[in-house]
Amino acid sequence: MKRSHWASAAGLAAFLGVWEASVRGGLLPAAFVPAPSQVPAAFLSELRNGEWPAAVLASLTHYTAGVAAGSALGIAVGVAVALSPSFAASQAWVARLLRPIPPLAWIPFALIWFGPSQTAAGFIIGIGVFWLNYFAAEAAVRAIDPGLFELAAAFGQGGAWRRLTAVVLPAASPGILAGVRAGLGQGWMAVVAAELFGIPGIGQRMNEAAGLLATDILVLYMLTIALLYGITDFAFERVSRRLLVWTRA
Amino acid sequence: MTAAPIVSLRGLAFAHPGDAAGRPVLAGLDLDLPRGGFTAVVGPSGVGKSTLLRVIAGLARPAAGSVVLHATPAADRRAVALVFQDARLLPWRRVAGNVAFGLEGLRLDAAARRARVAAALDLVGLAEQALRFPSQLSGGQRQRVGLARALAVRPDLLLMDEPFSALDAITRHLLQDELTRVWRESGASVLFVTHDLDEAAYLADRVLLLSGSPARVVRDMTVGLARPRARAGLGETVAALRAALAETFSEGAGI
Repeated sequence: MKRSHWASAAGLAAFLGVWEASVRGGLLPAAFVPAPSQVPAAFLSELRNGEWPAAVLASLTHYTAGVAAGSALGIAVGVAVALSPSFAASQAWVARLLRPIPPLAWIPFALIWFGPSQTAAGFIIGIGVFWLNYFAAEAAVRAIDPGLFELAAAFGQGGAWRRLTAVVLPAASPGILAGVRAGLGQGWMAVVAAELFGIPGIGQRMNEAAGLLATDILVLYMLTIALLYGITDFAFERVSRRLLVWTRA
Repeated sequence: MTAAPIVSLRGLAFAHPGDAAGRPVLAGLDLDLPRGGFTAVVGPSGVGKSTLLRVIAGLARPAAGSVVLHATPAADRRAVALVFQDARLLPWRRVAGNVAFGLEGLRLDAAARRARVAAALDLVGLAEQALRFPSQLSGGQRQRVGLARALAVRPDLLLMDEPFSALDAITRHLLQDELTRVWRESGASVLFVTHDLDEAAYLADRVLLLSGSPARVVRDMTVGLARPRARAGLGETVAALRAALAETFSEGAGI
């Protein structure tokens, strides 16, 4: 193990140690802050009664749908805006109008339109992810060296489709993938917020636990979100590294 | 030069679309380039040498006149290929992928495409580098990849825009020799833009001096030196080119 890994592990252990000691020593009130050692028992209990797998599956389902749809649409519109001045002009004020509205402000409308459903959660998640990808893709495409378009034209690849697939998407891929990665994190924030309003999933279970002052269960689901984000971010980073091997050559 | 032309320019004019005044860069240009020949274009910076190449390559639309290419139509090759001053490789593609770029869209199966890429890389001495990325190559190697990419499409006309100008002298001389060999083996016609008179005299059968505003061909000189050429024997030809260039400036055509 590298020295930096040892340092990370030591830092985490120290944090958990101080936390545990503070609760046991009465520095933090045990009724409001659970000790980290209580979380495994809470996990086993939630696993046995089926709440944990059901909540995680529900959250993952609308997270995946929202992130996928928001990313795909954001990239498509961002690329189109960067490539087409007339399209950019046509939607410039629409974007200025809608962009400042935070995804959470859409929750009432999502509940009115779709009810407390997976679709509503996917919609809320998708909105935040959309804007991140839109701006990342637009900036990435605008930064492409115009000489590459001339190269494509000189070698018979100047048609719209070939230009898009052979030049635009690969050239912009570092920026586009950075946008997708930012969206993966943004998506988890929106998941919990949406579920606090009654959509089934981790957030809803946290809301229930909060009502019962079951703080060990609250911490369990907070750690679950952190773990799920960690796994998705790590997996995406590995895939990105493979796709962008040329940037490190 | 009596060979049938590979390209004929008649009354060619060009003005940059962004220039509100519409000042022409090229005007009334008539020119025939010989098939299989090596023609160099020299002239002052900004005179329109690269513009001429871009118009012939179809990358810029002439304001008037015509460019007629007398190429043999074929589905497995391109009539014209361009080698850029800056190599202009796609950084996300490996060397072989860059060379294959111009072949995409041609009627070639995968095996034929691979064979073309391998042959082009062999020709420029880069077979060993096929799997490297452009960022892992030297400047000279990158230019060779650009040349291989152009040769792979088996063009009738190879347009080269100061391809060696950014290289050090040793690499430049090496690539000039390589280009001469490749040109003779490929049989393509070459139009080579350079600002280096020694380079023009060493490589070309014919040197066109472009000058004036709008630019026109003010001198059309034949280089009668036998091949292979020795750099030491270029003195007279270079001196003649230099004198022509000086004369052009003193006449005010270069201004």
